[in-house]
Amino acid sequence: MDITTLGGNILGTIPLGDIVIYLTPFHLFMFVVVLIFTALIAMSRTETQVEAEFGTLKESKVSVGLSEFKTRRFLAIVCGLATAGAMITGDLFNITLFIALIGIVNVGIVSAVKQVDVLDAAYQYGIIAMISSLPLFGGAAMILAATGTLSLFVLSGIAATPMMIFGAILLLIGIAGETGIAPFFATKAEMFRTPGSPFILIIHLSSLMVIIRAIEVLLIIVT
Amino acid sequence: MSKIGKLWNALANPDRIPKLYSLVLAAFLLVGFLVPISLDTNQIYPRPVPQEQVDEESPLAPYDRGGKVLKTPGIIKAQYSENSKSIGMITSYMSPQAILVQSISPYFGTSIYSSPGGLIDEVLYYSRGFDTILESTILMMSFVIASWLVVNFTMNTRRAEKDSKNSKKANIKNINISKNISKIDSSSLNKEEE
Repeated sequence: MDITTLGGNILGTIPLGDIVIYLTPFHLFMFVVVLIFTALIAMSRTETQVEAEFGTLKESKVSVGLSEFKTRRFLAIVCGLATAGAMITGDLFNITLFIALIGIVNVGIVSAVKQVDVLDAAYQYGIIAMISSLPLFGGAAMILAATGTLSLFVLSGIAATPMMIFGAILLLIGIAGETGIAPFFATKAEMFRTPGSPFILIIHLSSLMVIIRAIEVLLIIVT
Repeated sequence: MSKIGKLWNALANPDRIPKLYSLVLAAFLLVGFLVPISLDTNQIYPRPVPQEQVDEESPLAPYDRGGKVLKTPGIIKAQYSENSKSIGMITSYMSPQAILVQSISPYFGTSIYSSPGGLIDEVLYYSRGFDTILESTILMMSFVIASWLVVNFTMNTRRAEKDSKNSKKANIKNINISKNISKIDSSSLNKEEE
């Protein structure tokens, strides 16, 4: 399918050598939304969880230490910028790199927590993120081998072959693992139990936005 | 409990997810054997035929792209050639050391290519330079995460303990709570089974 059918009229391009970024209303909207969220998250403080105790009327507070806070904020900003980049890029290999970056940074955001259950879930998610780099980059390589190009603009004009469809599904499996969508959601769901709410939100937001963009990219390749 | 409920419960355990994911991936890769695969020979980033340059006894094999620095471009293609107008002009640049190595032996092509001052891969640094920046960013982020973990979880545990007094206390309580919950859970489950 054509880029303009999916995203609206092309408003302009940003040429970075072979990696050309196409600006359509759809891409620009997603880009700006992610940037606004990243700015909000960068400015906000973390939540302090208040937990009720069993057997008594007391409660305990779970807060985030300063150095942990700084690292997690830094990683959350990087995650937001990577998501924004994935929204706007017009190159297939470039988008896989952005998604790989999001996967690694997501693990990093929760790896600073000192809660065994959360660390265990993050470890399992890290394993999936590692495994999924095979279908992610493998899918992009299959499409490159089948068409000889990586530019989404050129790919949109090429009729789909069985090898391209296979590559596209491989890419989808890679993205599903890297962003941890259902049915592989359990690892991420456990990760959200940790305190430090705004940084956890960017994990959610990045998977959501990346999946929307990935569906657009797959439609460009397959149809 | 219904069958689908059991399935959801099985999917809710993080330990099982990597196994499930690997199974799905392996099954799909097996399907890949049935898909007709053909290489489009009109590739955007062409490579010479394997061993071709070695057979020609070029000292820069297998990375010889020809061309003269700032005079004639080497054989290198770009998707959007209008964005990289001077591609190929410096791909054959070699420092005096690299020229010396080249004159000594025909077997050091890879060393010349991988050393600073040797041949330059313009696909990496010019036409697809943004990808190279991203790749190194991924590496840097993993180093940031790994070094933070090393410093705070293994080397500097005393300060880390001070920092996280609150969360540590809460952890101990959490463990107690989870023990209580598991007791409650198992007892209620037993009742259900009964």
